[in-house]
Amino acid sequence: MKKMMIAAVAALVLSAPAFADVVVVVNAANSEAVSKDQIVNVFLGKSTALTPIDQADGSAIRGEFYKKVADKDAAQAKALWSKLVFTGKATPPKEVSSSADVKKAIAANPKAIGYIEKSAVDATVKVVLTP
Amino acid sequence: MNKSLLVAMLALPLAVSSAYAQDSFTIPAVKVSGFGTGALTMTNTDDAEFGRANQPRGVKKDPRTGVDSNLGLQADMTINSWLSLTGQGLVRKDAEDDFGAEATLAFAKAKVNDELSIRVGRMGVPVFMISEYRNVGYANNFVRPPQEMYSQVPYNNIDGIDAVWQHAFGATNVTGQIAVGRSKASLAGNLEAEMKSLVVLNLVAEYGPFTARLGRAQGKMTITGATSLDGLLGSLRTAGAGYRMPALIQLANDLVADSKKASFTSAGLGMDWNNIIGQAEYAKRKADNYVNDTTSWYVMGGYRIGKFLPYYSHAKLSVDSVVANTVPGACPAGYPAACTPTLRALSAGVASLRNSGTGQGEQSTDSVGLRWDFSSSVDLKVQIDRVTPKNGKGLFVNVNPGFNHAVTVGTVAVDFVF
Repeated sequence: MKKMMIAAVAALVLSAPAFADVVVVVNAANSEAVSKDQIVNVFLGKSTALTPIDQADGSAIRGEFYKKVADKDAAQAKALWSKLVFTGKATPPKEVSSSADVKKAIAANPKAIGYIEKSAVDATVKVVLTP
Repeated sequence: MNKSLLVAMLALPLAVSSAYAQDSFTIPAVKVSGFGTGALTMTNTDDAEFGRANQPRGVKKDPRTGVDSNLGLQADMTINSWLSLTGQGLVRKDAEDDFGAEATLAFAKAKVNDELSIRVGRMGVPVFMISEYRNVGYANNFVRPPQEMYSQVPYNNIDGIDAVWQHAFGATNVTGQIAVGRSKASLAGNLEAEMKSLVVLNLVAEYGPFTARLGRAQGKMTITGATSLDGLLGSLRTAGAGYRMPALIQLANDLVADSKKASFTSAGLGMDWNNIIGQAEYAKRKADNYVNDTTSWYVMGGYRIGKFLPYYSHAKLSVDSVVANTVPGACPAGYPAACTPTLRALSAGVASLRNSGTGQGEQSTDSVGLRWDFSSSVDLKVQIDRVTPKNGKGLFVNVNPGFNHAVTVGTVAVDFVF
């Protein structure tokens, strides 16, 4: 217990952000503009206009995306989602394990939206936000 | 939150989905998720038992797990782009002193368009700000919703139909929900409460970190199985007929909970702004029967420091009005000698209704607590409550005669979701 406390406090102090650049992308054929508010709404279950694709739980890019775009840490986002899921109001975003899989999912669905490393951007996706 | 545990499926009340699976070539993916709380709760007295609303037994000095522990399992099945099924079971102590399972959700949801969906079946009844996820500890900051308010409506679910509409007006997200149906609840003491013609309206506006909510529920309330109440009402009618006092019969008719109008109107505010957390609700209950008309409210504030969230809350329940006790103090001259003692007994019986039964009685609570998100999907909470009953036992149960003092309650809880 004491060790965990120390570890937690250390994690707080040492969590200096080492961010890779994350960008928000949609299907290359999607010509509509997407605002930051819309992205937040889609990823926090307040809008179903687009289909969100999440990266793996606990991954650095997922933490960075939620922090930069929605100003929530992963635990806060999870608590918000648990409100929606366990009232049956929404189902959480589909999770894939890499930026390559995000691009595949987006290529397969013109209404999909996801986030990947800036270096992974190619012609199959269109960047709508560089937070 | 998306592990496909087919084994867990078996534990869920999902007859509808298995029926679907049998005559289908491809079984749609079922998403199983769950939530739970393991908690130990204790108080500093043996004079009364502290429990959640509608628990027939609570805790005293000996720590017990039953007050705040629960486990919920949910299965979601997406049939196609517009139709999905959801089933949820919850295990907890409610109405009786054993852990029991109940089907909390079982509905089909049809997405009409991006903004409107219709659900049919059993849904959560959205009478409070957090009513639909009040049992999900992980989704809340406090260990348990403030009992002063959340004891005021015993119904958890509505069987019927609802429509949920979501629309963004600029940066403001508005959600409107209307539910129509009926609701049943088993109450502590083998009572059954039923609301027919239940209509619930729930309006939520979210602007960035701020949330505002208005709600209204009304219906026709019937309570059966209340033997002591039925005995009292029978005695009032007998005395009214025997002593030719129509006022007593009228009083019995005013008290009986027999398809009588009842309503609950509430407003709430929430905030999660720059690490400052706030939540407050205010509600009025009205019932055209012996159930008290009440005002209940609470305010909660907290400040997030990394993974730690210390918080404080204050909650209060007060009785606005009860059915006027019109039992005369004495019988006119010439009446039998037994008449006046009978009236006094009846009057005392009527007076006791104010503080007897589920969710009756007045009290306030001050709480301090700490939530620690120590790991992914798991939190640890420690909470101390100081509960002060007023005019009797408040919301405590199984009290010693004459009990009326403040009680300190301590709770340690671990919440998880998967």
